[in-house]
Amino acid sequence: MDLRFSEQQEILKKMARDFLTTECPKALVRELEKDEKGYSPALWKKMAELGWMGLVIPENYEGMGYGFRDLTVLVEEIGRNILPGPLLCTIISTFPILENGTDEQKKDFLPKIARGELILTPALLEAEGTLDASGIALKATAKGDDFVINGTKMFVEMAHVADYFVLAARTKTGTSEDGITLFLVDARSKGVTCEVIPTIAHDKLCEVKFKDVSVPRKNVLGQVDKGWPIIVKLIEKGAVIRCAESLGGIQTCVEMTVAYSKERVQYDRPIGAFQALQHIMADMWISMETCKYLIYEAAWMAAEGMPCSREVSMAKAYVNEAYKNVSKWAVRLHGGIGTSGEHDIPLYYRRAKAADIAYGGTDWHRELVAQKIGLK
Amino acid sequence: MDFKLTDEQLKRRGEFFAVCKELERVKPPNWVGIEAMYRDDECWEFHRHCAREFGKRGWLALAWPAQYGGIGDMMDKVMFSEARGYHGIRGMDVFGVQMLAPTILHAGNEDIKRRFLPPIASAEVMWCELWSEPNAGSDLAALTTTAIKKGNEYIINGQKIWTTGAHRADWGFGVFKSDPEGKKHHNLSFLLMDMKTPGITVRPIPYMTGNPAYNEVFFDDVHVPAENTVGQENGGWAVVNILAGFERSGIDQVMSMVRGVEELVKFCNETKRGGQPLSRDPLIRNRLAQLAIEVEAARTLAYRIADLQNQGEMALMDASAGKVFFSETGERLAFFATDMLGPYGQIRHSKWAPLSGLWEDMYQECFVTTISMGTNEIQRNIIAWYGLGLPRMK
Repeated sequence: MDLRFSEQQEILKKMARDFLTTECPKALVRELEKDEKGYSPALWKKMAELGWMGLVIPENYEGMGYGFRDLTVLVEEIGRNILPGPLLCTIISTFPILENGTDEQKKDFLPKIARGELILTPALLEAEGTLDASGIALKATAKGDDFVINGTKMFVEMAHVADYFVLAARTKTGTSEDGITLFLVDARSKGVTCEVIPTIAHDKLCEVKFKDVSVPRKNVLGQVDKGWPIIVKLIEKGAVIRCAESLGGIQTCVEMTVAYSKERVQYDRPIGAFQALQHIMADMWISMETCKYLIYEAAWMAAEGMPCSREVSMAKAYVNEAYKNVSKWAVRLHGGIGTSGEHDIPLYYRRAKAADIAYGGTDWHRELVAQKIGLK
Repeated sequence: MDFKLTDEQLKRRGEFFAVCKELERVKPPNWVGIEAMYRDDECWEFHRHCAREFGKRGWLALAWPAQYGGIGDMMDKVMFSEARGYHGIRGMDVFGVQMLAPTILHAGNEDIKRRFLPPIASAEVMWCELWSEPNAGSDLAALTTTAIKKGNEYIINGQKIWTTGAHRADWGFGVFKSDPEGKKHHNLSFLLMDMKTPGITVRPIPYMTGNPAYNEVFFDDVHVPAENTVGQENGGWAVVNILAGFERSGIDQVMSMVRGVEELVKFCNETKRGGQPLSRDPLIRNRLAQLAIEVEAARTLAYRIADLQNQGEMALMDASAGKVFFSETGERLAFFATDMLGPYGQIRHSKWAPLSGLWEDMYQECFVTTISMGTNEIQRNIIAWYGLGLPRMK
């Protein structure tokens, strides 16, 4: 057991922190909230040069060949600084290709992703907004060498700028886990329409409609009708990645709040001298520290390829609440200024809600935990 | 970055668990709760028996230097604690083994080490901690019990309180005011004494459960040889701080909660209410899942603390965070369990009590971990002042 970062991870962390501080200031974050695209293509290009999109892609596909645990180190820094855009949804979409793609799919997609030439995003949720298999109704019907897709996906992150969707569709009628197939769908296919939904984090979640959209059979990811286990793995990876991002956000909230409480003077002393506030900040710190090792454990297990659905759901359920709470206290301890649209803290508070919802809310994961601890 | 145990470690962990499991099998009927050993004579005898069994195997001297009979390393100590916690076998004199021994190793002279370490390792001598006084709790340095040096002896007068196990212990260690005129924090000495020394009177105080766990201890001209001092004369506060660092590891408590959750899951699966098992109740599922999550967060944090200590760091902030989080998770677990049990949640250890009445007991005993060893409020101060660098209260 050694819970320290490796030397390589420390280097990655420092590089990411320096890069994001310079290249992605909060002024840019705010600008991108209003921007139609929601990301900066110039920044995207620089990140591609650093190899971030291809961090976990093997070197023979032009990636960096790092592990999953290393990726979460990078993502922690992304959360700490906030980085709007399609980086995380692209990386999350890469895993099913890496783990379940055919050689041809890997050759077609992975080098382009690594070079920053493709934006991918998972398209899982629909009108009911549940991650359960029962929530998938969008149909894919076999027709010759193609499948024809009809239906509507909701909350598809950055769909309006995506090149490909990793799309879950029903290839058999019903609501069960069997009969779901995963497709790589060209976002520019005929019959695809997309609208951006206004959301709390301005993170460009979209409604995407599919009307008689043809997808070639070679774009099936994994086996026909047997896509659910791949989706479960994708959700697991997505959950850990979003946890790591939230952990970064939590760290910023704690640091900014402690720093502010040392500067802000009321009643002739810094407000950080008041014990009522000290104990809240101590609790924020405890919350951060408990999140950390729960996430690191889940990330380590995922990286080692160990079964980790229990630990992942534990981490996601816990971190969801922790990020909302810590960022809430960050707003409260900043007082009036913490509620301002011009202040940085609300950027985190709003993202805490978005992070909570993505890849499974608290109660959804708690139910998975209930099953995993053996409650019948 | 990994949580992996080596094959060698897994093998030793297996041994710790096997021995504790066997001991659990023969525990006495009233063996319930954190302070189980004080419930009756049979429980105390069992406690000593377990300690001797561990002592025989060298497990009370884990991570000690080899010259004092030590074997194994910090990770062994952690894994041994896990096994004891999981199987509810206190079986170790926490005061002697967990607090005093490492303190002596750090701050004791050679004579002290030679005289006091072997009987701790063999479990021959059990200790108590003569610490709080009626007017010195969190502000320990405000204590007033005096130890006045006269020749080669200290003469002690005054009173300690909340001394866990003083009525059972063979020896006691404590901190006393040795220079009544001296400055606060520079006027204390850390002394070791035989609890049978004339002038010591122990009056048991029942805990709210009725369990005689702690005591008032009165000192009336108690003579203690000056050679029983750990650290410098009037330098006791430094020793107190060293000892405080060893007080909090917490993995045994976490593992007792791991076990608690397992037993609650089993109970919910097997117990019907309104025609269906409790495990089908969505509220129970949600609450118990959340507690299992918190217990897992506690477990990983305990490993973090162990990992830091293994690297020779004091882990001050994390140890305080762990103390707060583990003990408050314990409170939440006890509140949940006694809620979930409905009217049965109030039944004391008896033939009617589900799960041996453990949770009725824990509803009360949870304060053993939130209040003692530095209240959780003091731990939050430590995090705020020393960790976050916030201005210290005057």
